[in-house]
Amino acid sequence: MSPAAQGGLLPDRATGLAILAALVCAAPVFAVAWIAVTGETGDYLVHLARTRLPVYLMNSLFVGLIAAGGAGLIGTVLGWLVARAEFPGRSVLSWVLILPLAVPAYVAAYAWLDLSQAGGPLHNATAGLFPTVRGAWGSGLMFALVLYPYVYLLARDTFTGQSADAYHAARTLGAGPVSAFLRTSLPMARPALAAGLALVVMESLADYGTVSYLGAPTLSIGLVRAWSGAGSLVDAARLSLILVAVALLIFGLERAQRSRARSHTASGRHRPAPRFHLPRLQGLAALAACLAPLTLGLVIPLARLGWLALNELPAPGLFAASWHSLTLATISAVLAAGLGLSTAYALRGRTVIATASARAAGLGYAVPGAVAAVGVIAILSGTQALIDPAWERLTGNVFPILLTGGAAALIFAYLSRFAAAAIGPSEAALARVTPALDGAARTLGATRGETVRRVHWPLIAAGITSAGLLVFVEVLKELPATMILRPFNYDTLAIIAHNYASDERLGEAALPSLLIPLVALLPMIFVARYLSRTGSSSGTA
Amino acid sequence: MTDTPTGLRIRGAQRHYSQDTAALAGADLDLAPGRTTALLGPSGSGKSTLLRAIAGLERLDGGEIRLGDTIWTGPGQHLAPEKRRVGMVFQDYALFPHLTALANVAFGLKGPDAKAIAQAQLEAAELGHKANAYPHELSGGEQQRVALARALAPSPAIVLLDEPFSGLDRRLRQDLRDRTVDTLRQAGATALLVTHDADEAMAVADALALMDQGRVIQTGAPEEVWLHPKSVTAARLLGDIEVIHAFVKAGAADTPLGQIATPDFKNGCTVYVLVRPQAIRLTPSPDGAFTITRRRSAGTHLAFTIEDGAGQSFTTHTPVPSQLAVGDRVDVALDEAFVTVVGA
Repeated sequence: MSPAAQGGLLPDRATGLAILAALVCAAPVFAVAWIAVTGETGDYLVHLARTRLPVYLMNSLFVGLIAAGGAGLIGTVLGWLVARAEFPGRSVLSWVLILPLAVPAYVAAYAWLDLSQAGGPLHNATAGLFPTVRGAWGSGLMFALVLYPYVYLLARDTFTGQSADAYHAARTLGAGPVSAFLRTSLPMARPALAAGLALVVMESLADYGTVSYLGAPTLSIGLVRAWSGAGSLVDAARLSLILVAVALLIFGLERAQRSRARSHTASGRHRPAPRFHLPRLQGLAALAACLAPLTLGLVIPLARLGWLALNELPAPGLFAASWHSLTLATISAVLAAGLGLSTAYALRGRTVIATASARAAGLGYAVPGAVAAVGVIAILSGTQALIDPAWERLTGNVFPILLTGGAAALIFAYLSRFAAAAIGPSEAALARVTPALDGAARTLGATRGETVRRVHWPLIAAGITSAGLLVFVEVLKELPATMILRPFNYDTLAIIAHNYASDERLGEAALPSLLIPLVALLPMIFVARYLSRTGSSSGTA
Repeated sequence: MTDTPTGLRIRGAQRHYSQDTAALAGADLDLAPGRTTALLGPSGSGKSTLLRAIAGLERLDGGEIRLGDTIWTGPGQHLAPEKRRVGMVFQDYALFPHLTALANVAFGLKGPDAKAIAQAQLEAAELGHKANAYPHELSGGEQQRVALARALAPSPAIVLLDEPFSGLDRRLRQDLRDRTVDTLRQAGATALLVTHDADEAMAVADALALMDQGRVIQTGAPEEVWLHPKSVTAARLLGDIEVIHAFVKAGAADTPLGQIATPDFKNGCTVYVLVRPQAIRLTPSPDGAFTITRRRSAGTHLAFTIEDGAGQSFTTHTPVPSQLAVGDRVDVALDEAFVTVVGA
């Protein structure tokens, strides 16, 4: 049987779409690289290297380290507790702990700086003892509080799936409970934890709003300034390249540390470990440990912003911005889910081209939003330069400026950044549909179309929906790419929140800031519950 | 390996998973020092639970486990698994996937010599060249040998093996079975091996313990237990057997296969006569009491099904070659060495 036949349905059309997905995702990166390498050397980058670049790099390093340390600690401990212990509220917390992902880090930053700065309620209540949340450590802390779910999710599912035998073998070989955990369970979970941490660091480095508000300029700030301040595409592209290099380095390290060692049992069947019951007091302590990051990352920021919003009239343009945010997020989500699903179908065919397309599309996830935006600009202006002379010769008219394509350019950048986020879950969802199921359906008289409708769709619907909703939430939260690419006077919730907050008008920033997590919360609940039902094989990237 | 082997003693081991189901219902077992005991029982008989209780991975609701004078498990007492000095080979081997073969074997060792001892242990298992391989890079048989080497490396007081050959194909099984027996013997280890395969149990064991419904129902040398099972259940655990319900009359049980002397039973009581298929000898005879209804080849022997006039049928094992064919009439004689009588 040929590989394509083994893969079952629709491999050809799907492969075409997978290639499209790969182009959409990877083209901006390659455009950035091309511009960076071939562009003329300007003074700006030299000047930058002498002045701000070391600061950007140091801040990126500190922010990344603190975010990774914090999210790693929270995510690992909570993941282990939920997976291995039985305590009050465990089954609900299992998915509720994912919800802080609905809160953009910059929204948490607005609330926490407001609470903790001089004159803020926390500052006053503690007589100034509570430190003001700002700078590199403040930013890192914000990222840890809202991004820990990446680590938590992977840690939870790894600890749940681990065979108890390895731990028991360690016990019979003379290791105590703690030592057995540290020497077997934890190292066996390491690849999953590393993958989670890599995502946390990537998201932290891609952030613009938080580090700009809390005053810890990282590389992505330099990037946005190079474009919007200095107006230099070449310099922006070169900074982008540094950022992408850092991203690839992080993912490379994550891959490398796996090396030959594996995290799953080499053979035989698993003996899933039963959860142990915590005594009452310890159970309550576990509950408190779970509620702490939820309170700090979700409840307190939303409560503070809610309070501020109540005391302020809605800002003008809020309705238009909400409408823009919703339409952009919805269109991107549908398109990303479509591309993700197509790629997953193509992967079923196990052809080289499908695999290569999926990997190329996955590259997009390592690309910060600002870089994707610069790449889209590079592509659009490059295309313009190609078309303009020919068009003028043919029609005598000037070709419309592509960059004013506006929302379409934005969606291109969003897809480039987030389509990869939809491929992983789609692939996982479709993996449950084995070729044998296709065979069974077809031998029972179902046509190809019926097989898709009656067998595939019921099995994958929740997974695809959840992939789309994940992209919806990400686009809703997105700031830097939107800042670079948005058409003139075209605001989103994230943009007006950022603009008001930067102008020290937090009262007016409060409502749009609050609306983002509130709108994101419902889809996030769906995603969280889906991921908790199926396990993280269907998780992120 | 084991410095002064000490026996392990289990008395009245009880373990209840719920009100009605007892995994262990008062199991007694003695492990002779320096010898390999096979624990044989159907699935659900509690043998794995007993093994895990010895390792300390499972607590007991009642009863006692002690090694020499040291109580491992007793009323209100539970020595942690890492303090017991047991070496365990798990059913799926439970090799640490993130560690090399050498690091796996060295896991339970302490001190500067750990690596050297582990390497020596691997050499002994003829796996010295695979020291730096990760578990997934080893074949099934190699994984099993690493698992055994890992269990033996810290010179444990007791070695426990949970269905150690179950994941392997037949030929590999035989080979590994022999290797494992040799290794355990050379190590002078006191070992307990759990299996549900009667042939395997008899092949590896110095002593056999039969388990059913949470209890150890019979112990002894393999041949002894095979020849003289104490109950129908014990007899069936060890292979094919004909069970004939009979009355004792005039010092003998009257069976379709003939009279069996029953010196230990009073006249008038009912007994089970247990007849191994090997016990039944067939001789061709035109007016024999039995007719051959089925002939099946089983390699070393032929399995015949014979039927008497009353429609009762029995299975016999006859060494190859044999000229007998389906439809032939035969007479039967019993080799009493393969016949046991137990109370009904």
